[in-house]
Amino acid sequence: MTKLRNVAVVGFAQLPVVARDEHRMSTEMLYPVVRQALADCGVERDAIDYQIAGSVDYMDGRPFGFVAALDVMGSWPARQDLHLEMDAAFCAYYAWVRMQAGDCDTAIVAGHGKTSEGEPDRVLNLQLDPYYQAAIGLDPTSTAALQASAYMARTGATDRDFAAVAARNRAAGARNPDNQLRRAASADELVKTPWAVQPLRQGYLPPIGESASCMILAAEGKAEKLCDRPVWIHGVDHRTELQTLGARDLSRSAGTQLAAQKALAMAGVQSAAAADVVELYANTPAEELIVGEALGIDPKAAQPAINPSGGALCANPVMSTGLIRMGEIFRQLSGRAGARSVSGARRGIAHATQGHCLQQNIVWVLGTERRWT
Amino acid sequence: MKRPVAVVGVGQTHHTSRRSDVNIAGLVREAVDLALKDAGLEHKDIDAVVIGKAPDMLEGVMQPEQFLAGAVGAHMKPLLRVHTAGSVGASTALTAVTHVASGLYERVLTIAFEKQSEGNAMWALSPNMPFTPPLVAGAGGFFAPYCRAYIARTGCPPHIGPMVAANARANARRNEYAHLREPMTVEDVMNSPVLWDPIRYLETCPSSDGAIALVISSEEKAKKGPRTPAWVKSGYSYAEAMWVPGRDQVSPAAGRICAKAVYDKAGITDPWNQIDTMEIYVPFAWFEPMWLENLGFCDVGEGWKIVDRGDQKVGAHLPVNPSGGVLCTNPIGASGMLRLGEAALQVMGRAGAHQVDGAKTALGHAYGGGAQYFAMWIVSSEQ
Repeated sequence: MTKLRNVAVVGFAQLPVVARDEHRMSTEMLYPVVRQALADCGVERDAIDYQIAGSVDYMDGRPFGFVAALDVMGSWPARQDLHLEMDAAFCAYYAWVRMQAGDCDTAIVAGHGKTSEGEPDRVLNLQLDPYYQAAIGLDPTSTAALQASAYMARTGATDRDFAAVAARNRAAGARNPDNQLRRAASADELVKTPWAVQPLRQGYLPPIGESASCMILAAEGKAEKLCDRPVWIHGVDHRTELQTLGARDLSRSAGTQLAAQKALAMAGVQSAAAADVVELYANTPAEELIVGEALGIDPKAAQPAINPSGGALCANPVMSTGLIRMGEIFRQLSGRAGARSVSGARRGIAHATQGHCLQQNIVWVLGTERRWT
Repeated sequence: MKRPVAVVGVGQTHHTSRRSDVNIAGLVREAVDLALKDAGLEHKDIDAVVIGKAPDMLEGVMQPEQFLAGAVGAHMKPLLRVHTAGSVGASTALTAVTHVASGLYERVLTIAFEKQSEGNAMWALSPNMPFTPPLVAGAGGFFAPYCRAYIARTGCPPHIGPMVAANARANARRNEYAHLREPMTVEDVMNSPVLWDPIRYLETCPSSDGAIALVISSEEKAKKGPRTPAWVKSGYSYAEAMWVPGRDQVSPAAGRICAKAVYDKAGITDPWNQIDTMEIYVPFAWFEPMWLENLGFCDVGEGWKIVDRGDQKVGAHLPVNPSGGVLCTNPIGASGMLRLGEAALQVMGRAGAHQVDGAKTALGHAYGGGAQYFAMWIVSSEQ
């Protein structure tokens, strides 16, 4: 692997996730986290070279929702800027690419979305192929159920296995003050919840919630000045699969598998099992098992710790959920994870996804030491 | 930019008001196939795909790049989706440029499209924002006050808009891909109804179906290609806040800062004499003199005089929008990339009947939001 520029996560802030932030617009929710992330780095906005935000118009129910984010991100005087219609985890990727090109040394990455403005199941139906798949009324819960069925059929996983995964996330999530669901729930309890769409029970699905998130990235030389314990990017890759549900093996995540291979190779790490902690963006227990398999993680092994934050099953603020996975690894490796700290964690993997049935996936390998010397 | 980057393939559709013979994927695929053929490449040669388009409400599909992943050949590749309002086509191409400049990717396919016949642009561009009086008047209603302010500030006479519009149409008549190519005189424009004072019907861009794709390449791979590439000398995207007291909407600071950045990086100190042609984003005729000033081609208040003298016509000192520009072709999300792609075609010497003789250095420009987003590049025939 060629030598790349060392880049680190140096700051992260998020709003605690709630079902509905009644009195604020999406960008008003973003403002305090931008301020907090900058304050944590001890700088003002002028100290940052580049800005990039992730949001999606359809979540706000209006076009150009992201334009107002310019104001709250401090875009005066004019800033070098980009906006992706994607989860902010992908925005962090592009900021990293810019640093590899030598076009900036520091970047502010923001994610915002106001899920409560509409009905997410109906809104996310509009992501599907408008000619063949959206028209039959599929929503993300139905497509996730198809994926869960495919996984069960291939592996023999049971309802009880799904309940156990959900229960582990719920137990961990009780220790995360930013979560929307903070009550632990046992597998016995969750397996008795009603079907959402069979084989997914209501207890296996994330609550609908909203938040805003902001991360600051900095290249070597700047990172050390902005953060006492920068968390370095060792490897990253992202891949897209076809959306067409019938055209891929829904029981696997080929995109995650390839992205993980590439990211681990960049990091010079043999296997994801060498990580101390992983944060996976999984909308269902089946997705978590599929992504874990693609990464090569044994969910029964002592290491790595999986989703000590509670994962998306405890809080799923669309457009931020992916960036929060990366933020959680930053918190774990920089001693900021509070009661959910994984003791002695030095290497972590963050995964994020978007689209129906894990269509697009990104994998980050992060560590406490610089990757390239 | 860490290393040289070039445009090695350009493909665009014939733009029109309604492409009922293809669906969204078919339209996009047409541009992709043309760009790859132009570059002498196949999908397997492409390392990543960057797609841009304007608001998803224009077609009613949320994040349509997800369902288009197959049509654009992105399966198992990195795929990013950019959205920076009207500037998106340009900022999307620049995102691809950065990918190659980083050394991480050798060839990136970048695509921008809009199939406006799928929806109603007027509705989609009339957002009802909290605490803001709804204009419900589309982009024209939004930008008309900017044009009025320009006229009040500079004394720009009433025939300038019609002159810009008629010249754009004359240029589009030489561009086989342009949407509006029917003959149109200054008198025709003057006699067309005012939609949003001072903007007349014929000073307004159309709603188009169209797509464009570019192949962006590293130096090493570009030199192996079948054609002379266009070299990207510089490219920047800047944006500024909307609600800042003292913000100049007529000549936004973000535009001036972005122009300075691309000129400085490309070694341009005298744009009026060093740039041979430009493709700039003029959705309403009055924006042509406004951008000539904002981009530093003349002093404040002098932009309309360039138009009045005809110095921006094809064959004159500095041809502006030889393709006919946004006034004749406007698939919104693609319009910015069309500006950058047309600039590239000019310096490659491959713009066909609308080629500017001897064009070696060209500016491509787009803007968006409330004149807040700017994205530009300078391309050259020489590395």
